[in-house]
Amino acid sequence: MSSSSDKRFLPEGRHLLMGNIAMVEGAISAGLTFFGGYPITPSTEAIEHLAKRLPEIGGCCMQMEDELASINSVIGASLVGAKSMTATSGPGLSLMTETISMAANLEIPFVFCDVQRTGPGTGLVTEPHHNDLGLMRFSGNGEFQVIAIAPMNCQELFDLTITAFNYAETYRCPVFLMSDAYLGHLHEVVNIPPKEEILKRVIKRESPEDAPARVFSYKDRETGEYVIPKPPIMGTDYCPGLFIHLPHGPEGLPTPKPMEFMEMMIEKIKSNIDKITMVDKYKLEDAEIVIIAYGLPVRTSYRAVEIARQEGIKVGLLRLITVWPFPDELVKEVVKDAKAVIVPELNYTGIIAEQVQRVTKLTTPIIKIGKVAEFHHPDDILKVIKEVAK
Amino acid sequence: MVRYEIRIAGFGGQGVITLSKMITMASAIYEGLAATQTEAYSASARGGKCWAEVVVDLDKDAKIIDYPKALSPYDFLIILSAESAKDVKKAHLKTDENTGFLLWDPTTITKFGAAKRVKSLSIPVQKLALEKFGNIVFGNSILFGAFTVLAGIFSEESALETMKRFVPSSTLEANIEAFELGKQEAQEYLKQLKEGGS
Repeated sequence: MSSSSDKRFLPEGRHLLMGNIAMVEGAISAGLTFFGGYPITPSTEAIEHLAKRLPEIGGCCMQMEDELASINSVIGASLVGAKSMTATSGPGLSLMTETISMAANLEIPFVFCDVQRTGPGTGLVTEPHHNDLGLMRFSGNGEFQVIAIAPMNCQELFDLTITAFNYAETYRCPVFLMSDAYLGHLHEVVNIPPKEEILKRVIKRESPEDAPARVFSYKDRETGEYVIPKPPIMGTDYCPGLFIHLPHGPEGLPTPKPMEFMEMMIEKIKSNIDKITMVDKYKLEDAEIVIIAYGLPVRTSYRAVEIARQEGIKVGLLRLITVWPFPDELVKEVVKDAKAVIVPELNYTGIIAEQVQRVTKLTTPIIKIGKVAEFHHPDDILKVIKEVAK
Repeated sequence: MVRYEIRIAGFGGQGVITLSKMITMASAIYEGLAATQTEAYSASARGGKCWAEVVVDLDKDAKIIDYPKALSPYDFLIILSAESAKDVKKAHLKTDENTGFLLWDPTTITKFGAAKRVKSLSIPVQKLALEKFGNIVFGNSILFGAFTVLAGIFSEESALETMKRFVPSSTLEANIEAFELGKQEAQEYLKQLKEGGS
C-alpha cells in the first residue's frame, strides 16, 4: 500500500476535532479526491484543512475565483470519476443553484456541505440558523429531488459524510449535509474506526466491467422499478458521447417524452425513501406528546424527553437524520395518535413544522419552538411539554 | 449528567483558545469524558475581546453534552484582561464546595471588584512567564497547572500528556516547569482556603 493511501485515514481512536474538520475527514475517508470551493464563514476551515490534506493523498483542493466556478469544478471532477464536494454557507448555495440544477439533470453525484449561518442576505455570519432547507430542496430550476442529512454532533459530521457520499453514488442526486455555524465550529471527540471498517462502509466510484448503453436512470418496464446505473466516467467506454441538458432517456439522448423523464427524476428517489430515510425513534412507544427535531435541537430534545419522563409525562422524540426527502408515511404513523406535536427548530418559520402539518390531522396541535442565532436549552422544550401535558 | 462549566476570557493572542483546547483534550481524550469546546471567532480571536468555553460531563457514562454552551453560574472562570474582568459578577460563579473558582492575572488586570467576593486566585502569569522563562507564552502552562489542581477534573498525567501534544518538544521541559509553578500556586491557595474555612 502506498503512503498516500495510508494518509487517507486518521489513526484509529479518539480525536478532538472541530466540526468542519470532522466533516472533511469523513469525506476523505469516503474517498473524496477533489474539493472545489470558495472560502466563506462559517465553512472556511473545511477548505483550509483540505488544502493541506488532499495533496497528501494525491487529491486536489482548488480555491476557485467564486462560487459559480467552485460548483462547476466539482461537477467537472465528478464527471471524470473523482468523488467530489464543496462546502459553503447560505450565500454560496444561492450562487451555486444553476449548476446544481444541471448536475441533477445529468445525475452527476456530488456532496454539498452547507454550514448554515443566519440569513437572509449576508445575515449574521458566525451564528447558526437552519434556514436553508427551503433552498436545498428547490436548489435550482426544474423538478428534481435532493437528499438532505442533518448531523447533530462532530461524530456524525464524520460518519454521516460517508453516508452522504454513498447516497450520492447510489442515487445520483445532489446530497446536502446540513451543518451550521455552531456545529461547524464546535470541538468534540470523534471516534475514528479502523480503516478496514471504514472501507467496508464506502461505496466506490467504479465503472462496471461491461459497458451498457443505459448510463442514466430509467424505469424498467417489466418490473416497474427505477434503475439507477453507476455514474458514467468520462474518458472510459462507459460514458455517453454527450451530456445533454435536455430531458433525456437512459442513453443520454433527448427524449420525446419529458413526462417520463420527470417521473424518473422524482421517483428514483421517492421509490427508495425507505432506504434513504434515517431516523431515531426515542421513547415513542407510548408517547402522547411527540417531539420532531433534526440537527442541534435533537441534543436538547433528548434531555427534555428524559426529564419530562421522570415527571411522568409520556413524551417521545422522532429524530430526523434524513430531513429530505421528508418521510411522509413514517411521520404520519408516528403522530397519528399524538395529543400534540412539538417541533423545535433553529428558524422562525418552522420549515419542517410545515411538513409535519401536511401529514398530521388538522385537529392535532403543532407547536413550533423557533430560535434564531442561538439554540434551545432543554428548559425551553420542557416548558412547552409541560404546558401541553396539562 | 454532571456538567462542569468553564469559561475563559481575555484578548486574542493570549492563548485563551489554546488553553480551552488543552482543557478539552485532557478531559475528553485522556480522561474519556464527554466534552465540548466553543470559541470566539474571527476578529475577536485575533486581538479583540476573546473567549472560549468548555463543558465537561463528569459522569463517565455520559455520551454527549446535550447543551454544548457553558452556562452561568460557572464552575471555573479564567479571566485574563481588564475588559473581560468588568463583565464578571459574583453571581457568575457557583458557591458550592470545591468549585466556583476564579483564576485571574493581576499583570493585566489592576482592579477586579468581583474577585474579592468569590473564591479567587490571582497569579501574575504574564509577569512570571516573562521573568522565569523569557516569554509570555509560558503563561498558558502556568494557568494549565493551576487549573489542573483547582478544578481536579482530570489527573496530572492527563494534563502532562496533553502538554506533550500542544507544546514543541524543545520547550516541553520549560513548559512542565511552568506547569509546576501554577500547580504550586494552586496547592498553596487550596491550603489557605482550607485553613481559612476551618
